[in-house]
Amino acid sequence: MIYAGIDAGSRTIKIVLIDAEKLQIIAKGLADQGVEQDKLTSELFERVLKNNGINKKDVAAIVATGYGRNAVSIADTTITEITSHAVGVRQLVPDAMTVIDIGGQDSKLMRLDRNGKVRDFAMNDRCAAGTGRFLEVVAQRLGVELDSLGRMAAKSRSPAAISSMCVVFAETEITGLLADGKAREDIVAGVQAAIANRIIAMAGRNIELPIIFTGGVAMVSGMDAALQSALGQNIVVSPDPQMTGALGAAILASDRFNKASG
Amino acid sequence: MSDKPKRITLEEWDLRYEQLQRAGVRQPPAVAIGGRPNYDGPLSRHLEDGDQRLLKLRYDNSAAALRLWNFLLTEEDRLHQARAKGKKLIGTMKDLGTVPVMAYSFDNVVAFYPDGAWWIPCVMELSAGLLSIADSLGIDESFCPVRAMLGAFVTGAHFPVPDRLICSVGATCDDFSAIAQRLNSLGHPIFWWEIPHRRKPDPNEAAINLPGGFRAPKCQVEFVKSELARVKAALEESAGEQLDEKKLSAGIKEANQVRRYLAELRHLAFTAELCPIPALEMLIAEMLAIHFCSDRRETIEVLKELLGEVKARVQAGIGILDADAAKIFWVNPVADLQVMNLLEDCGGRVCGTEYLFTHALDAIPEDLPALEALARMALADPMVGSSTERAERICTDIRKLGAEAVLISRIPGASHCALEGEVIGEIVQDKFDIPVLEIEVPPVTDSMRPTVRTRLEALVETIKARRKR
Repeated sequence: MIYAGIDAGSRTIKIVLIDAEKLQIIAKGLADQGVEQDKLTSELFERVLKNNGINKKDVAAIVATGYGRNAVSIADTTITEITSHAVGVRQLVPDAMTVIDIGGQDSKLMRLDRNGKVRDFAMNDRCAAGTGRFLEVVAQRLGVELDSLGRMAAKSRSPAAISSMCVVFAETEITGLLADGKAREDIVAGVQAAIANRIIAMAGRNIELPIIFTGGVAMVSGMDAALQSALGQNIVVSPDPQMTGALGAAILASDRFNKASG
Repeated sequence: MSDKPKRITLEEWDLRYEQLQRAGVRQPPAVAIGGRPNYDGPLSRHLEDGDQRLLKLRYDNSAAALRLWNFLLTEEDRLHQARAKGKKLIGTMKDLGTVPVMAYSFDNVVAFYPDGAWWIPCVMELSAGLLSIADSLGIDESFCPVRAMLGAFVTGAHFPVPDRLICSVGATCDDFSAIAQRLNSLGHPIFWWEIPHRRKPDPNEAAINLPGGFRAPKCQVEFVKSELARVKAALEESAGEQLDEKKLSAGIKEANQVRRYLAELRHLAFTAELCPIPALEMLIAEMLAIHFCSDRRETIEVLKELLGEVKARVQAGIGILDADAAKIFWVNPVADLQVMNLLEDCGGRVCGTEYLFTHALDAIPEDLPALEALARMALADPMVGSSTERAERICTDIRKLGAEAVLISRIPGASHCALEGEVIGEIVQDKFDIPVLEIEVPPVTDSMRPTVRTRLEALVETIKARRKR
């Protein structure tokens, strides 16, 4: 049986199809998010099926997760990204105890129990502080690619102090730092450290290891190092971090609908 | 008892109202006699007042709930009628439950709670412009939404300007003090009384037990008593009437009747196997303890009918939510009422509350001199003690009510919310190892609804996953 998970995030849509018997990923796809969320999702789903020679009727159930999950009309049900990321990460890293997920619009930290179930979680406030969007704005303002942030931060000798975590105010601060002649490398390092500190503040006490870093921002070079430095603990980037939410949703589809049909 | 209990929309309430009318249910019977205000009519009639948010809420379908809502939404009419009848209007601010007990002990006084205007921006979906007026007065969105009160005073479109304003200061939130001071500067003189920060008694210091399980030094109780004596004298001056011990004691007994009904209602609502009444109606009912919605006798009648409905539902084993609803303890009131509906839409059930005025729900001692009893009650206010003490009381209730998670609803701009949530969350997690979630709820959450919904759904999913361990 094939089950699908769709992670309709604020910046991208991710789809994972799994073979429930083998618990293996058999297809996946990614597309930019847009205004017509439902249409974009359906088109991506069709594309993933076609590219992998899978018939739609062979997909037993679809679970949607992520910010735009309620707009996905092809889904049989929805589950939040908190639960989905936890399940996805646990599938890839079976001993995971803490999950840090930084996506385009929000960031979250989940504490898991020994069985991989979410014990509790924390999410960022409604602003874009500590999210992928924040990094995008910074990269844009500095005229550099997102991919190069890690390399730049590694060259920093004296990371800039970024006091504001509001995207709008931080942009103003960056303008001021550039005007003062601060090196772009130092600004990038300062921004990444500020985001990491924000995430760590959200975590509170008693973070159990191993800590797995997932979500689209986990692919931005240097962010894992910034988190590691802020936390003083080893951070493991999840395999295929952008897809863990969709993978978790697919596994949850299998759990829920397999049981229902069985 | 009404038909099968459920939550219905405003449009559905119109049909339901006709059904009730046809069935001969007249409401409220208690106010049809005696020339008192009439609270009858369908819920949708309040749309004419500009209360657009009502279209987006879901309500309990009982006649008792209709009476509760009609009572709440006609308070402004009642205040204007009281003014027309020559009654003295007292605006009691910040103390959440003490001064109204004194005020209603007079024959010719009606007290109300201008702070309650903080819900107007929600109910009228910002159309009244109250927050913009507060902005223009220098009280911007960095302050608690109670700042809407300033706009209500400026426009005069909501409640009549009271004959006297009484406000507690001292151990109150900073932003409220600033808002009240700004009101004072606008030509609305305020009678201030001080409530000290409740501290733990020193070793060997004479101490007194307070309602709610707190203790305070005797000297603090004496101080509050002396402040309340000043308040009493001010009220006597406004009312042109002396308030003797007998009258004040009778007022305390009446207030306790409200509190007893609420205690029973809370017990049933929070502990019945099936949730017998929605969280939204419970929030409104609990708020009646603070200010009696400008009519203490009708408050008692409204609560009596609501309690009767809830008892009947519990006895019949019926409720408004699924049996497996996640049991959540709610901390702090919400600025947007719709969020109470949202929790239930997401599969949650409120199984306990701490809306910042638990002292107004505890019985006032009746075996003490009246001012002493009121002083003890005032000092038991969760907001005048430490966050740790507040958290400890919350923990006591969580243990009693079997909550599976705690939801702390932060009020944007409210100074006490900035750190309290973290303190409460850490203490709760240390004691119970249950999930604690903080959300911020502004007066209108529409643009944030998806993110708030995600948090609430995730909390419910987490609770249900933990049950399967």
